[in-house]
Amino acid sequence: MDIIVAKDVRKKFKLKHGQQVKNNGIISNEIDALGGFDLNIKKGEFLVLVGPSGSGKSVFLDIVGGLSAPTSGVVYLDNKPVDAPSEKTGYVFQQYALFPWRTALSNIEFGLESRGVVKEERIKIARELLSLFGLSDFEDRYPYQLSGGMQQRVAIARALATKPEVLLMDEPFAALDAQTREILQNELIRIWEGTDTTVIFVTHSIDEAVFLADRVAVVTARPGKIKEIIEIDLPRPRNGDIRSSSEFAANRHKVWGALKAEVNKAQQEWKLAPGFTD
Amino acid sequence: MIKKIFKRLGLKDKLLGLIVPFLLLIIWQGAVTKHLFSELLVVPPLTLLNTLIELAKSGDLSSNILASLNRVLIGFLIGASGGFILGIAMGLSPIINRTLSPLVKALQQVPEFAWMPVIILLFGIDEFAKNIFIAIGAFYPMLFNTYLGVSGVPDKYHELAQVYQYKSHRYLAKVILPSALPSIITGIRLSLGLSWVFVVGAEFFGTEAGVGFMMISGRQLFQIDVVMAGLVVIGTIGFLLNYVLQLLEKKLSGGRVAFDGGIA
Ligand SMILES: Nc1ncnc2c1ncn2[C@@H]1O[C@H](COP(=O)(O)OP(=O)(O)OP(=O)(O)O)[C@@H](O)[C@H]1O
Ligand SMILES: [Mg+2]
Repeated sequence: MDIIVAKDVRKKFKLKHGQQVKNNGIISNEIDALGGFDLNIKKGEFLVLVGPSGSGKSVFLDIVGGLSAPTSGVVYLDNKPVDAPSEKTGYVFQQYALFPWRTALSNIEFGLESRGVVKEERIKIARELLSLFGLSDFEDRYPYQLSGGMQQRVAIARALATKPEVLLMDEPFAALDAQTREILQNELIRIWEGTDTTVIFVTHSIDEAVFLADRVAVVTARPGKIKEIIEIDLPRPRNGDIRSSSEFAANRHKVWGALKAEVNKAQQEWKLAPGFTD
Repeated sequence: MIKKIFKRLGLKDKLLGLIVPFLLLIIWQGAVTKHLFSELLVVPPLTLLNTLIELAKSGDLSSNILASLNRVLIGFLIGASGGFILGIAMGLSPIINRTLSPLVKALQQVPEFAWMPVIILLFGIDEFAKNIFIAIGAFYPMLFNTYLGVSGVPDKYHELAQVYQYKSHRYLAKVILPSALPSIITGIRLSLGLSWVFVVGAEFFGTEAGVGFMMISGRQLFQIDVVMAGLVVIGTIGFLLNYVLQLLEKKLSGGRVAFDGGIA
């Protein structure tokens, strides 16, 4: 069963007065971010989006999350068109994830507070999640007292606290160092494999995509649409060891094969843009 | 936390800041004892201290300080709450901001004391007129700092609020205000500081109590020591108000600097 269905989703942004951009060679002051995005996502699936920078991945996530409306086309969540943020959705951003005036525990409570969950229940849920991420000793710390990896664990815990059916993750690990990043990938997959949450995860790392995904959807250079969907045929449950297997390398190769041309195309476009210096 | 703040403020720097005033006091005392100035015109520090003690003993000092503080408080509350509310409205709504900011900027150019004749015409010289005079001074710093804090709430905070369906008062109380708090505290500090500066000015125009009144009547009676005691009191209280609010400001923004551009 498909929990999310995106049908011919298009998104244009009006540029500021005097700014111009080329859409398929035609000069315009509107930018085509998404150009007919079609995607069906199965319930409980881990879907990873990869694509060149500026290909509209974040824009698509915002539309699914109800933060932004498509110019045309529809996204259905559980058969209902998304027109506002839904209680079924959680969101993890790359940056500014946590509120500096709240402790780790209280940050995790944030999403539950507006939904009328009573204090004791909120604390219980938040503590369970902290312990799931090995952060029980840090519940009263403020974000600046936590490492980047810990902060992002808390941000993920906050998103999981409301038990979302759909979890949107926009490059959540991009700012972390390579080791912390692998550790968090391992933790995320361990925790996710015990839930039936549907995840849409955006990354620029092919390794990350292959390690996490059931399917990897490759997005074209702007205007973004789905170029190809690659099934990752690695067994679950997965753990870190799988990264060095030959099956992993084979999947990696497939994803890169589909992505390479788009990345080159996007780069070409930047080079042609006025003012671009290499 | 508090310890950290003390460390950051640097006790050493504070001692450095005391050296010059202390030297000045010694030179001042010495100059008067050596009869370089008339003791009638320049009161030596020790006499001044004595006067302060006398004023304190008689209860004059505390009653005048209380009268001034009371005036400051009322004027500050009127002006700062006006600035606070308008600052939030202008920070949240670009339309309100564009509608009102030219007017606000123009009025801000009017020097505080230029309001005096207007206020006297409209309200006379009674207590309420003084409160309004102080309120005008308190209004602007609160307005600008609240506006800066509210309009500077990071986009991601707005998005998180949307994702979790925070609306109206809850949105304001749980996202906007906490995010803008350091800036709002700065507004309170500057606004209160200006209120204290203007109260003394207001008291030069007819009143029967307050630190400004104490100085005016001291001048009329040619009690130069009382006039100077007033200066010391004004400076000290202003300094303390600022100091306490600065501590609060540092405490509340503690750690936040690390976030700009960081992960959290
Ligand atoms: N609010 C906006 N106004 C104007 N243009 C926008 C806006 N948001 C996005 N865009 C444009 O839409 C395109 C897609 O942006 P988007 O952020 O979705 O890219 P992305 O695929 O997430 O890139 P990255 O991998 O670098 O995060 C970009 O060209 C971007 O400049
Ligand atoms: Mg993006």
